[in-house]
Amino acid sequence: MNPEPCLVCKDLERYLGEDESRVHALRGVSLQLEPGTVHAVVGPSGCGKSTLLYILGLLDHPDGGFVSIESEPVSHLSDEQMSRRRNEFIGFIFQFHFLMEDFTAQENVMIPMRKLGRLSQEEMEDRSASLLDAVGLGAKLQRPSRHLSGGEQQRVAIARALANDPRVILADEPTGNLDTKNSTRAFDLLQGLVREHDKALFIVTHNQQIAEACDWIHEMQDGRIVSTHSRRA
Amino acid sequence: MTPPLYIAFRFLSHRKRPLLLSLSGVVFGVGFFICTQAQTEGFASFFIDSTLGSNGALVIRSRFQNKSTSIVEAKTARGASVHRQYFEGIQNPNEIMRVSRQFTNVVACSPVLRGTLNARSGFENATADLMGIEPALHLQTTNLAGQLVGGSIDDFRNKPNSVIIGSRLAEALNVAVGDSVQLLSPGGSYRRFAVAALARSGVGSVDSTRIYCHARVAQALLKKPYSASMIVYKLRDPDRAPALAKHFETLFQHDALSWQDREEANLQLFLTLRVSAAITVSLIILLAGFGIFNVLTMSVLAKVKEIAILRSMGYRRNDIAAIFLWQGAMIGGAGSVLGCLLGAILTWGVSHIPIRVRGLLYANHFLVTWNWTHYLSATILALIAVFIASYVPAQRAAGLPPVATLRGSSV
Repeated sequence: MNPEPCLVCKDLERYLGEDESRVHALRGVSLQLEPGTVHAVVGPSGCGKSTLLYILGLLDHPDGGFVSIESEPVSHLSDEQMSRRRNEFIGFIFQFHFLMEDFTAQENVMIPMRKLGRLSQEEMEDRSASLLDAVGLGAKLQRPSRHLSGGEQQRVAIARALANDPRVILADEPTGNLDTKNSTRAFDLLQGLVREHDKALFIVTHNQQIAEACDWIHEMQDGRIVSTHSRRA
Repeated sequence: MTPPLYIAFRFLSHRKRPLLLSLSGVVFGVGFFICTQAQTEGFASFFIDSTLGSNGALVIRSRFQNKSTSIVEAKTARGASVHRQYFEGIQNPNEIMRVSRQFTNVVACSPVLRGTLNARSGFENATADLMGIEPALHLQTTNLAGQLVGGSIDDFRNKPNSVIIGSRLAEALNVAVGDSVQLLSPGGSYRRFAVAALARSGVGSVDSTRIYCHARVAQALLKKPYSASMIVYKLRDPDRAPALAKHFETLFQHDALSWQDREEANLQLFLTLRVSAAITVSLIILLAGFGIFNVLTMSVLAKVKEIAILRSMGYRRNDIAAIFLWQGAMIGGAGSVLGCLLGAILTWGVSHIPIRVRGLLYANHFLVTWNWTHYLSATILALIAVFIASYVPAQRAAGLPPVATLRGSSV
């Protein structure tokens, strides 16, 4: 029996730009993410992968269709409600990690926890330390993020994405800025954490090797998912 | 600590140079504002205290009789009828004083017979403002005893043929305590008086003209048929003098003048100076506001990525705006506290600067007041300026679309 999907989108339409430069970025995209699965979206630049990711992450509104989290439609929610859902259910990882430069590794991981407000300062420190330990940075908790290497910064970003124990992790080319060794390491780490904690991972990537290691590969072209392959036995 | 406050603190603490620049603008603005207000109000307060101590808070003068000729009476600025006939001197001063003392605001009152005559000492001559007083009553009503800079009030009290002379008039006549001075009566004869004491009120116009003598002596010297030409009042609340003056006019049918009306020109001058100084110094706070606006605007531009990632982590637009408003609030708060400290230090320092003032006032150093409202006004002004300066960048930060930043070059 398939588990209930944690994130679903149906018939998503999205236009970008104005007037003559208007682009039909998404044309009726539908998919669903189940807990414990890893989905890769591949396709040429400009095919709508990132647009889809931002809509799934409630950072952007679709012009048509809807997104639902755990069977609850969310596309119509206010900025405050969407922010709350994002904080609670979704973890983001970006190609350029976007850490707070002046904050330490541990402080970066604690930022989403502060917003959620469920843990005390001590609990936040414990949880962030254990997350950083899990990504191999247990010895660098207090190091300012700008003093970490690119690979280490991306691992901090992974730990930060897991800070509030989200149901879904959305990753926009998380290994795009890393060398092969660090790419493989970061992805293996992410995949391992996702499977271990029964989360859904949606990853936009140009890396064929990483895509082939995912459970599902969605191929996009001109704003449409043109094919979906399952890599599960 | 709320998440926006925490992040604001961290953002601010890692940008020390812009922080110091913004902070110093607020600190100096607030400090200078307080110091200039303390000075301008210091001189004004000294003048008010001096004039109240010399001339009282309220004065009743000539008796009048209304001469209404029409149903609709024209009114003067002070509300007194235009159609009045004035009669020199106070009619029945003892009865007026007896009734006056029933008013709770009246502390003491004293009859004065006032007139102008010529004073001579050796080859020096000067026009003098003679005040014939009842020593016991006058000392209760004014600060004459505290104004003495030489001689003894007891000598004056015990010797009817003695006078107290204003310090600057004494300089002009070249007399000291123990010397004698001649006063020319309207009849043309000089009468000799011993100088029992010298008085310095601090108000130039008083110190350079005034001579105090006993009321009976003054009446004989000035050849007046009445014993008092005015009654001077000391009030518990001098601020209520105009209302009481109006009431006394109606009650006693004598012209009554509050110290506010009497010193209107000088008070206006002090007020103008104070407002002028406040406007000038407010410009510093305004400039500090511009500085903060620039710093926060640059901060928004520098933190575009951080803002986008915060939005992706669930921070609302209001949270983003709050981060920048908190930064402004912290600069404004810390700047105001430090500015108040600087203001107090500057005020103390200025009050010790020696300066020789010998005109409208008599002072040997800068006069200041310690008034908490200056500190409150400066703080409110600074906080308003800082709020306005941080509001625009905060709204700009809150309105930044995160997707545009996060998207980078991909679609």
